[in-house]
Amino acid sequence: MKSVAEQDAKPRRARRMETVVLFYVANQMFAISADSVQEIRSTDSLAGAACEIENPELAKVRHTIDRGRRTYYVVNAGMHFGLPVTRPELVLILRQFRAALLVDRIDRMADISAVHALPLAFTGEERRWYRGLAYLDDFVIPVVEPTGFLTPQEFQRLDRASAAAASQRAVETAVQA
Amino acid sequence: MSATVNARENSFVLLQIGNHRVALPAGLVAELAPPVRLHTFPHSSKLIAGVIVRRGRIVPVYDASLVLGSRASSSQRFYLVSRRQTGEASDLIAIPVNGECELAAGKMQPPAMDRPAHVAGTLAVGDDSLDVLNLDGFAASYAAMAGATAGTEAQS
Repeated sequence: MKSVAEQDAKPRRARRMETVVLFYVANQMFAISADSVQEIRSTDSLAGAACEIENPELAKVRHTIDRGRRTYYVVNAGMHFGLPVTRPELVLILRQFRAALLVDRIDRMADISAVHALPLAFTGEERRWYRGLAYLDDFVIPVVEPTGFLTPQEFQRLDRASAAAASQRAVETAVQA
Repeated sequence: MSATVNARENSFVLLQIGNHRVALPAGLVAELAPPVRLHTFPHSSKLIAGVIVRRGRIVPVYDASLVLGSRASSSQRFYLVSRRQTGEASDLIAIPVNGECELAAGKMQPPAMDRPAHVAGTLAVGDDSLDVLNLDGFAASYAAMAGATAGTEAQS
């Protein structure tokens, strides 16, 4: 029989911590895996670099930005989540997807030990929006799924709208010249 | 069938939700949770008011007033946490209650044909006939009510 001390000395399975960025949209806190974020910029610093696109079916995307030869679609997180309209001040440029996220502010970075699966009673769009829920400092925080901001079909529609906007700009430039 | 199983099947927890007195099979009840923080975040599952955290688990809370048609009372600060079967998986679900629960024994009678999906049957308690709730049927009942409301609005 092992003593209590011996049992305590048993190596515990190390919990894998995940670093997340905590951000706010319309006073609602969200978390996103820090690994998913390539860059955080202020909206002011990107004002000159953003191109406007029009796609009435997808009101949450009004702009594109070009970073490192890639075009990113800028998603208004408030509209995506159906939150009240705010004035976003930051853009989170995602790492593996051609999407960037307009948010109000960053709270901090934090380490979380677990992402709890979204309970099965949730059956709506949130199943696509969230990887799960984190419990941090007595708060339940939704952990966003980076691929949930735009579906492949939405990317296709935006690519078409973006190409149309680019050719329109080219025509306008040619006319002015 | 053993006496224990029989007793469990015939045991019900009686609760007050708004102005409705209803019953829930005791075997489904996980716990009566004290007033704890209701956490909310954006979602589109309209029947869910938020989530609570109990014993390390995140438990969704149904806004039962949407289905039962009664206003949530300010005294409903406790949560009745119940087990729910969703296909192969089992899940917990909570409903706000006023904290006054009692146990009753009896045999549940099947529901009338026109009763909504959230009613599993009826239970005679004294002179009253109480609805026995079926939490698995809440979503179906809410969808049916929302559909009926939308239809009425479209006609008017």
